[in-house]
Amino acid sequence: MRAGFVVIAIVLSFFGARLVQLQGIDPEQYAEMAAADGTVTVVLPAQRGDILDRNGEPLADSADGLMVVADPAMTAQRAPEVAKFLSTRLAVDYFDTLERLRVEDTRFQYIARQVPASLAMEVLDEAERRAADAKEDAEEARKDKDAEARAEAEAVASAYSGLATRRDPVRVYPGRDVAANLVGFLGTPNPDGSAKPSAGFEATFNSYLAGTDGEARYQVGAGHKIPLGDNTVTEAVDGRDLRTTLDRDLQWYTQRVLRQTVRQSGGESGIAVVMDTRTGDILALADDPTYDASKPLEADKDDYNSRAMTDVYEPGSVEKVLTVGALIDAGKVTARTKLKVPGRLMRQDRPIGDWFDHGLIKLTLAGVIAKSSNIGTVLAADRFEDGQLRDYLTRFGIGQKTDIGVGGETAGILPDGSLWTSQTEDRIAFGQALSVNAVQMTAAVNAIANGGVRVDPSLVRGTATTTKGAEVGTDLTTTRRVISEDAARQTAMMMERVLDPDEGSAPAAAVPGYRVAGKTGTAQRAAEGGGYEGTTVSFAGFAPADDPRFTIYVVVQDPKSGGGGSVGGPAFAKLMSYALRRYAVPPTGTPASRLPVTWR
Amino acid sequence: MSSSAPASVRSRLSFPARGLAEAAVQRARLTVVPRRRSRAPKVPFVTLVSLLLLAGVVGLLLFNTSMQQAAFTTTSLEDQATTLAARQQALEDEIEELRDPQRLAEAAQRVGMVPAGPPQFLDLGTGRVVGAAEAAAGERLDLTPDTNPRPGTRRAGAGR
Repeated sequence: MRAGFVVIAIVLSFFGARLVQLQGIDPEQYAEMAAADGTVTVVLPAQRGDILDRNGEPLADSADGLMVVADPAMTAQRAPEVAKFLSTRLAVDYFDTLERLRVEDTRFQYIARQVPASLAMEVLDEAERRAADAKEDAEEARKDKDAEARAEAEAVASAYSGLATRRDPVRVYPGRDVAANLVGFLGTPNPDGSAKPSAGFEATFNSYLAGTDGEARYQVGAGHKIPLGDNTVTEAVDGRDLRTTLDRDLQWYTQRVLRQTVRQSGGESGIAVVMDTRTGDILALADDPTYDASKPLEADKDDYNSRAMTDVYEPGSVEKVLTVGALIDAGKVTARTKLKVPGRLMRQDRPIGDWFDHGLIKLTLAGVIAKSSNIGTVLAADRFEDGQLRDYLTRFGIGQKTDIGVGGETAGILPDGSLWTSQTEDRIAFGQALSVNAVQMTAAVNAIANGGVRVDPSLVRGTATTTKGAEVGTDLTTTRRVISEDAARQTAMMMERVLDPDEGSAPAAAVPGYRVAGKTGTAQRAAEGGGYEGTTVSFAGFAPADDPRFTIYVVVQDPKSGGGGSVGGPAFAKLMSYALRRYAVPPTGTPASRLPVTWR
Repeated sequence: MSSSAPASVRSRLSFPARGLAEAAVQRARLTVVPRRRSRAPKVPFVTLVSLLLLAGVVGLLLFNTSMQQAAFTTTSLEDQATTLAARQQALEDEIEELRDPQRLAEAAQRVGMVPAGPPQFLDLGTGRVVGAAEAAAGERLDLTPDTNPRPGTRRAGAGR
């Protein structure tokens, strides 16, 4: 009996000693070790917002992706077999993979990045199966005491177990080159799986799209969550979708028509803008050359940007409609004002000529626009008071950024102060000696289409915040009256005469069945380092002329042949016809403008 | 008070009656009840408690097991959900690819389709027909992609 007590006392004293060791001496460390052993921290990735068109069609889309990685320390021994398996399943290069599987002194090598999750998971499952099979073989070999076969099978098992996956989100651009210049792209993600925005909206709105990753921390036992274990979850905050004003199908068609136009004219590059007249929504904004956003590395870096926003040029005769609209609004002229237009107009520094040879002709103001006479425009613009033209152009938005959310926008130049001489004013009146970007110019012409009220152009529906903190979007659109409704209507009537088969400069821009107003532009193009070289040809217009729904602007830089009417006109007609049909806009059915272009 | 009551009774009684009362008092004197030994059987109670304990332990064990089982199921179902989500995404990507306007246009051109001509509109309210319908012009849109650009060969834009 007593001996029993002694035994129990001895055992209990051992327990006590252990207790003191655990709790008395550095209990923190033990607690930490226990916690770390079973606690798993998982990053809960935030889903990057999509970039959508106006109807919710994706222009950029996020998909789960995984990277396949290998531990060369485990794979090196059986590298050829594993490399063969990976190269057939993942479409990676065999020799490259072989090399990676054999790299020394590292336990981490990329095998494939941004693999669609379903494929990567399939491949890993297959690898796991092969590893399990090999382990069974090894077990059998052990029973058979076949040391060689056992080592062999164990090496295979280890090699296949040396593969793993990690998160590596994939950004998909289903339209490839559709709106690529605006949408931009994400470069290959950083090793931790975070996005690396490289151009376009992806970069400008990165913080808006990205969201914030969350984190889950829980205890596991044997690979499973312990039901009542510690469990803390910080939910991920998903990025928001960026909804643009673009219409994907119209954007695609615009890009194809533009590309065809640039190719056929032998031009260097081109821009096309389709704008909703009433809201200022940009339905399509095409740049050519463009690139495939899903294969950005195959493209020329110069093509990443939207030239419509970053490149400025002298607009040429399209600008005449702004001059004339302003003149009418100022009460200086009407569409029927009679002008005597000489073949050459001598001005202070150099003579001004027209694109077509003529002697003294008698043109109305409508005729000046229809035939695109520089001399006639300058004569009419002489009636402006000092500074009036500049004020009007400023109100049309020339020389100011549109701030529609595209990075790297260039404001263009509207000369000021001492630079604004009477010679400059002459040239500005017909669209030289000032520079614009294409969206600016579209918005200015759109002000005439919209009854004299300029609407801010937009590319983002609702509102979104750029990474720099600026709010942009249709909710913030403001309008301002630039010229009177009557002045806008008269200008539109004159612009209709541009498409007249006999009197106008661009009959090819006509859309059968509709009244269309437009204006050609064939400008000298400023060369790098001064002077002029080549041309910028363009066509801007809207339809239906008496109740406009769309304003479209097509620009081709440095075509081998042709002017605004012959290059821009047909492209305009195709785009306008498609847009009117797509949005089911019926013709207004009113008789076309018959404004006289000449007088006796 | 209780002791004074019999005394006063006694003093008022006559002598012969006193003897009788003495005997009655003697009889009425209380004694301690002898403790009764309980004969209730112990076995059922012990069994009951043991059973309760056992049931508790077994129940707890079963509960834990089922919780663990549920955790296994959760994990495997979560894995399955992940796989299915990945598959759904792959299928959605495939749909997007099939819906690509470029692919549709190429398919349309292969069967000889061309962009439509201008339509006519019938106003149901007035019965008026507007527009000038024309047969499709038959001009094919050039759908061939750009050949890969030649970096650096393009002239830089003349923007100022």
